[in-house]
Amino acid sequence: MSTDRLDEVRSAFLADLEEAGGDAEAVEKVRITYAGRRSGLLNELTAVLRDLPKEAKRDYGRALNELKKDIESRLADARECAASEKVAAGKGQTKGVAGAVDVTLPGTPVQRGAQHPVHIVRRRIEEIFLRMGYDVEAGPEVEDDWHNFEALNIPPDHPARDDQDTFYLPQGYLLRTHTSPVQARVMESRQPPIRIVVPGRVYRRDSDLRHSPMFHQIEGLLVDEGITVGHLKATLEAFLHALFSDDVEVRLRPGYFPFTEPSAEVDISCIFCDQKGCGVCSGSGWIEILDSGMVDPRVFEAVGVDSERFTGFAFGLGLDRIAMLVYGIPDLRQLFAGDQRLTRQFA
Amino acid sequence: MIFDAEWLTELLDGAPDTDTLAEKLTDCGCLVELREEGEGAEKWDVEVTTNRPDAMNHRGLAREAAVATGCRLRPVDFDLSESDEDAGQLATIEIADPKLCSRYVARVIRGVSVGSSPEWLQRRLRNCGVRPINAVVDATNYVLLELGQPLHAFDLDLVRGRRIVVRPAEEGEQLETLDGEERELDPSMLMIADGEGVVALAGIMGGADSEINDDTTDVLLESAHFDALSVRRTSRRLGMHTEASHRFERGTDPEMAATACDRAAALIAELAGGHVCRGRIDVHPRPWEPTRMEFSIAALSAFTGLDIPADRVVEILEGLEFFPELEGDTVRVTVPPHRVDIERVPDLYEEVIRHVGYGAVPSELPVLPTTPGHRNANWQLIDRARQAAVTAGLVEIMTWSFIDAEVDALVPSQPICPGEPLPLQNPLAQTQGVMRRSLLPGMLTAAGANFNQGEQELSIFEQGRVFNRGDDGAREHERLGVALSGGDGAHDHLFARLKGIVDDLASRVGLPSTQWRGGGGPWLDADAGAELVAEDGTVIGFAGLLSPEFSDRWDLRHQVAVAELDLGLAEEPPLARFEALARHPAVVVDMTVEHGPELSYAELETATREFTTELVEELGYVTRFVPGEDVVRTTLRLVYRHPEKSLTQDEVNTAQDELRKRLAEALGVGFA
Repeated sequence: MSTDRLDEVRSAFLADLEEAGGDAEAVEKVRITYAGRRSGLLNELTAVLRDLPKEAKRDYGRALNELKKDIESRLADARECAASEKVAAGKGQTKGVAGAVDVTLPGTPVQRGAQHPVHIVRRRIEEIFLRMGYDVEAGPEVEDDWHNFEALNIPPDHPARDDQDTFYLPQGYLLRTHTSPVQARVMESRQPPIRIVVPGRVYRRDSDLRHSPMFHQIEGLLVDEGITVGHLKATLEAFLHALFSDDVEVRLRPGYFPFTEPSAEVDISCIFCDQKGCGVCSGSGWIEILDSGMVDPRVFEAVGVDSERFTGFAFGLGLDRIAMLVYGIPDLRQLFAGDQRLTRQFA
Repeated sequence: MIFDAEWLTELLDGAPDTDTLAEKLTDCGCLVELREEGEGAEKWDVEVTTNRPDAMNHRGLAREAAVATGCRLRPVDFDLSESDEDAGQLATIEIADPKLCSRYVARVIRGVSVGSSPEWLQRRLRNCGVRPINAVVDATNYVLLELGQPLHAFDLDLVRGRRIVVRPAEEGEQLETLDGEERELDPSMLMIADGEGVVALAGIMGGADSEINDDTTDVLLESAHFDALSVRRTSRRLGMHTEASHRFERGTDPEMAATACDRAAALIAELAGGHVCRGRIDVHPRPWEPTRMEFSIAALSAFTGLDIPADRVVEILEGLEFFPELEGDTVRVTVPPHRVDIERVPDLYEEVIRHVGYGAVPSELPVLPTTPGHRNANWQLIDRARQAAVTAGLVEIMTWSFIDAEVDALVPSQPICPGEPLPLQNPLAQTQGVMRRSLLPGMLTAAGANFNQGEQELSIFEQGRVFNRGDDGAREHERLGVALSGGDGAHDHLFARLKGIVDDLASRVGLPSTQWRGGGGPWLDADAGAELVAEDGTVIGFAGLLSPEFSDRWDLRHQVAVAELDLGLAEEPPLARFEALARHPAVVVDMTVEHGPELSYAELETATREFTTELVEELGYVTRFVPGEDVVRTTLRLVYRHPEKSLTQDEVNTAQDELRKRLAEALGVGFA
């Protein structure tokens, strides 16, 4: 007889105990099998001790002792465990070990993270366009004059440059004033059909309650054969309905942007006052929401797209403005103050 | 731009009520932003886009209104009576640079007596935001607002040599303009000079020396056409913006100069007395040439997605004075001189569409191949970082991309400064003078602001770009920054919280695995700072407790733990793969090692890992206790498991004995 037998018993015991789980009766059965005063296996193993030679006796005895302790302690644990499960099953009729819990005390707070509201809105808008098969593109924030202005039909000294007061960097570079340069970059690098949206950070040299020198836009572009003003209109309606609600009315008004011809400014019916007139819509019942238009053929020509064959539309909107609108944030600059109390509200 | 609604209506035959008028103007692209009560009439603030200088006057806007409402624009109508005296004998005009001045028309009005203009005219000027000065000047401003042609009145007696020369300025010339400012001129600027020197900035502002004054009796009236770009460059260089420059910069009607000159001369004679001398002095080196264009109704309809009847197209273009001719499906037009914005056929489409109205265009979604959209890799990366931070319980903040150069100068002492700084050439403020090279300065400012608001616990992150100067402009790097504070106040707990988060972020973002090596320079506490070093030695980030020095610099009232990671080396983490679940029980052993403070946990763990058998499935840290100055007790947990059988205690004991022996030999440690 060697300690091997003890190991076999240990394994068998562990397996049986695991099977018994939290059931008190089953645990008791396991106890009787192994540690029962009369017929328990441990008794049997102890009986062997007498007949062993002296040297083997010492090793075997020590191992047997360990096994006994182990089995007893595990049984004790299992019984306790089974008992507490019974308490739980008794629906609190039995008193808990630690006394009554004041169930009205607050629970341990969960530390929730949150994305900045501008990014929440960005992702929502991206998702809408991804579902319509648009790719989400990115580009540099430090741009050259060509992509930010010239390729978009804004030559040097064009009055439209006044509307986009620009931060300049060394070597003639600048901080992009809109996400539109990515349009130009994408059209330079691949041929239609093109269907993209471009979210990103942009900069203008302007700072007051309604303007921040840094803000965020998302830009859309679709180019293919036979794209019409009706396609633009339907796409914007589908988007704005998905973003706000199917009930909002969408209105296109003629506008002017150098890179689109014709251009349209797009309003939605005020989502706050049902067009009765309120502070958000300045009493007009309409909220200006985005700029759009059919891509000017000059832009196509600048970036190497056949302007005879293809037409397309483009649109852009301010993400910060949408976030402010959707969540009722009054001051644009609050978005960039780094106050965690702002973001926590969107956890 | 402000318009007087009564004046506007007066130019229309059969004008509707003002509500309808405002609505229809808005619909056709001239947004009536604000209507308010002016003097005797409503004042309208109308947003006329920069490409439409033709509508930046009452007549021009009335032309739009006529087409939009279906009424008629009244013709320009005034009486001009001339005296026998020939204007050509009283002054001479010369254009030295016909490229920059295609036409200069002048008239002479003699015998005026300069007084104030009548109340009705002053009222209209004031409604439009123009200050009345005297009858002569007011007449020129009135015609500007009516017809869009900027005019200038000189006191003829103060025009030396009674001679006008349109020429570039000479180096070093100066002019005191009407606003009393002394202007330094250079040869890039176009001037109006007289026989002796400069008397006006062409198209921008007159000079003080020749202005109309109480003693003026003879007036020389200028009505010219100047090159838009030239006026724009000069006004920008001088930092000036006037009613005249605003219009010239955007392009005036080259054919309006003569009509406007006649109209203003008649008005001056009417308001200030005197007589208009016979004839215009008209120098016209470059006559206007009309542009003709044609398009097909079918192409217009296809582009729009709406069938527009030919007669409607013709009606709109007629109202806008394009003189359309319809032949079959083809429309031929002549672009009128006031429409400087019309260059190509799509420009004409826009004219039609904006008057037909976008509302009439049927909505129809485009049909394209059903390819799924995909997100650019950079967006995937930074959103992965953002999502990881949110999962770790952090809230996102955004701070400015530009910071104070003085603060930025501290960044090179960080372990991961990207390179040379990138300064803005025209910052709004010195505190936003240079593109950031690290997220931390902005985040620390934000941390301070949060503390000042009474926040005790801080758990913020920022994801954004940092910039440095490159050979071709700039380099941009995506970064992830973390700032924490709060907890039980124990610094090692704060550090441990930071490390737990940073390691989790790094693995979720897909950064290469890194070692934490003591460091972090002056930014981090010498006792609680680390650089994150990838296997190839690249430092990809740093993390630790902010040093007392920097804490003071940002005036932070609580200890902050910070980290910044560069995301450049991140790769999309591989998909998780299922591993078979173990079927045999594990034996868990907690081992407490007693050692000196010089042995780092990393060394202890590495050695332990090396000496364990393959039966150790998991090895981890449980706790550390420091009972005395030179004694550290570190408890490790080892999980033993055999894949095919239940382990015996003996097997585990043997393995543990061997492990202890080898650790003791290798590291000289003991066991508690």
